[in-house]
Amino acid sequence: MNAASIPHTHPIEEAGHGRATPEASRFGMIIFLASEAMLFAGLLGGYFILRWAANGFPWQPGHAWPPDGVEVHLPWRQTLAATVFLVGSSFTYHAAEVAVRKGRSGLFWLVVTLALGSVFIGFQVYEWIHLHHEGLWFHTGGIYGSSFFVITGFHGMHVAVGLALIAWVILRQVFTRCYTPARHVSLNNVGLYWHFVDVVWIFVFTLLYLV
Amino acid sequence: MNTLTAREIPHVDDHAEPGFVRKYLWTYDHKMIGLQYFWTALAFLFLGGGLALLVRYQLGWPNTSVPLIGWLLPSSVASEGAIVPGGYNMLVTMHATVMVFFVVMPLLIGAFGNFLIPLQIGARDMAFPLLNELSYWLYVLSGCVLLAAFFVPGGAPGTGWTAYAPLSADGAYNGTRIGQSLWGVAIFINGLSSIAGAVNYITTVVNLRCPGMTMFRMPLTIWALFITAVLLVLAVPVLSAAAAMLFCDLNFGTSFFKPSGGGQPLLWQHLFWFFGHPEVYIMILPAMGLASEIISVFSRKPIFGYRAMVWAMVAIGFLGFVVWGHHMFVSGMNIALSAGFSVSTMLIAVPSAIKTFNWMGTVWRGSIEFTTAMCFALGFVSMFVIGGLSGIFMASTPVDLFVHHTYFIVAHIHYVLFGGSLFAVFGAIYFWFPKMFGRMLSETLGKLHFVVTFICFNLAFFPMHNLGLGGMMRRIADPPVYEHLKQLQPLNQISSVGAIGLGFATFLLVWNMVAALRRRPDAPANPWHANTLEWTVPSPPGHGNFPVTPTVYHGPYEYSVPGMDQDYLPQNQPAPEGVRLAAH
Repeated sequence: MNAASIPHTHPIEEAGHGRATPEASRFGMIIFLASEAMLFAGLLGGYFILRWAANGFPWQPGHAWPPDGVEVHLPWRQTLAATVFLVGSSFTYHAAEVAVRKGRSGLFWLVVTLALGSVFIGFQVYEWIHLHHEGLWFHTGGIYGSSFFVITGFHGMHVAVGLALIAWVILRQVFTRCYTPARHVSLNNVGLYWHFVDVVWIFVFTLLYLV
Repeated sequence: MNTLTAREIPHVDDHAEPGFVRKYLWTYDHKMIGLQYFWTALAFLFLGGGLALLVRYQLGWPNTSVPLIGWLLPSSVASEGAIVPGGYNMLVTMHATVMVFFVVMPLLIGAFGNFLIPLQIGARDMAFPLLNELSYWLYVLSGCVLLAAFFVPGGAPGTGWTAYAPLSADGAYNGTRIGQSLWGVAIFINGLSSIAGAVNYITTVVNLRCPGMTMFRMPLTIWALFITAVLLVLAVPVLSAAAAMLFCDLNFGTSFFKPSGGGQPLLWQHLFWFFGHPEVYIMILPAMGLASEIISVFSRKPIFGYRAMVWAMVAIGFLGFVVWGHHMFVSGMNIALSAGFSVSTMLIAVPSAIKTFNWMGTVWRGSIEFTTAMCFALGFVSMFVIGGLSGIFMASTPVDLFVHHTYFIVAHIHYVLFGGSLFAVFGAIYFWFPKMFGRMLSETLGKLHFVVTFICFNLAFFPMHNLGLGGMMRRIADPPVYEHLKQLQPLNQISSVGAIGLGFATFLLVWNMVAALRRRPDAPANPWHANTLEWTVPSPPGHGNFPVTPTVYHGPYEYSVPGMDQDYLPQNQPAPEGVRLAAH
């Protein structure tokens, strides 16, 4: 053991007081997101089996999606617009983080992010209502309806949680100005979560709407 | 070498003694959270054990009224004190669910994981204490949700702990829509608890090791819990997704697992076992870690092949994700696919054999002390070998097709889960009880507990091999109804007698613990002359664990080092000049 490999300040000294170091918090968040990724892998893996492995791939005879007897018109143009908003909100969140690192409050970009995310949720709600009017719901449309609503529902809940977290970040910054260039742990962690929700949406959008 | 000396922590211990709620119910102290898990899981152990005894009573003496407690059973389970077939299914399902999710996982990972991780890596606490406590209460909540299933219309779920679709997915088939839904909710909440715990463990092990505690100086317990936590993070959410789909199938009319709407019953099996097989290792790896620690200490020898032990666990963890199909050989899967799963499953025998060989290598020519903990640890190794060998039978598709739906597989699971995991838990209780509560357990009572448990365990579960090969199917409520099983009924009765003995043997442990807790604290800091860091602080350790951040100088298994007077060398003591250590 050489002495040089022992760090001079050690995270152990901050632990035990209900407060993890920034590195540990970030690391924990990434591990948690790995777990979240497996949740969506389970959902989308199930979708893969239901749609292709069991139903035949597009180049195989008898392939039909949506299954025969299910009439669907996904408003994919609007969803594409919503996708642009959601992906854009990742960039605006990043702008907020850059602003905080430069010593500004970052509130403007945070509010823009919140607005863009809310618009996305609004689109999703509108889409669900629209499909419901067309007669597609959890229990109609067989595996098509099942997977569409459960997967977009799970993602939508994650977006809603993300919005709540961003609102919390905004309130903390407004009332306590706690995010400084030196320390902004929860700002970064909420950001990681928000980017993750975005990336998941790209997969969901591609698999459910485009292919 | 000056920089290596321990540094004072700038920490003033100004914490007032907390009140009852802050001390026992809502605490951020990992040791108390570990104890919360410990007592709750022990309570569930008796509940799950009671359910098992009802199952065994029905199999031994079918359709007779259960003595003493028959009148207590709800009408969905028993009629006039005798267990009805549907109720039998509920008992089997709840027994397995309770034992897997509410006893073995919380005991190994919740109780010992929480208690030992910060202490053995020299940390003051977990990385996220609030998340830790939240994880415990989510566990309690999920337990309440599961038990509530007994009291809802239709009763508890009766589809087995694997909840195979389409039986589980449609209330019209299983008749327990609400109970099965509660099962799904309980599994989901329990999953949240597991993920919260696992995130905490991984972060803590990676970030909070004390100076000098490199990854390859960590005790094997910590390695085992670390790898287990990785498995939890990656496997549990898949079950959560499946449970959510099942819940929607039952309540929102979706058809993920229902063929009527184009769904796939086999999808459930794939999702369930993608979680389920890593889950098997989630329940055995920590047991291996605990047993390794105990075996090395009481052989007074370094663990044989420390690095091989670590890499074997990594290999088991990795292979655990590519073998789930071996639970599905009987589902009519593609024969080429089943051959692949068969080969990957048999590969697991290699790291498992490495571990077994190394435990024997550790004991070999050691100065063995047959303490109760050591007896249970050696019992763990031998029972795990039996369970592992019967596992190889099932890994081979042609054999599995024959024995999968029989009691042979019930024998297998209990040899690895009780003879394996729970034996290690019992050993760990005898080993770490002094550290947890500051009192020594009685060795006499402990030995009695071990002998009775060991005999009754084999009496209860060994005959199941014969029953299975004799053609007794799993999950039948009334064996003698079948002509070919009538001659085997005495074996069923022997098994039931063993199970009842096993149940009562566990009261010896409770008696031992209660008696110890009523005594004055008498445990020295290091009763077993062990090396790991938790033995360098008082029993039980105080707030913040270590008055001074420890510095670690070498690996955890330096026993009987040649040239030293004492036969152990704690991790925080540098080796004397000129002494050659087994590991660096």
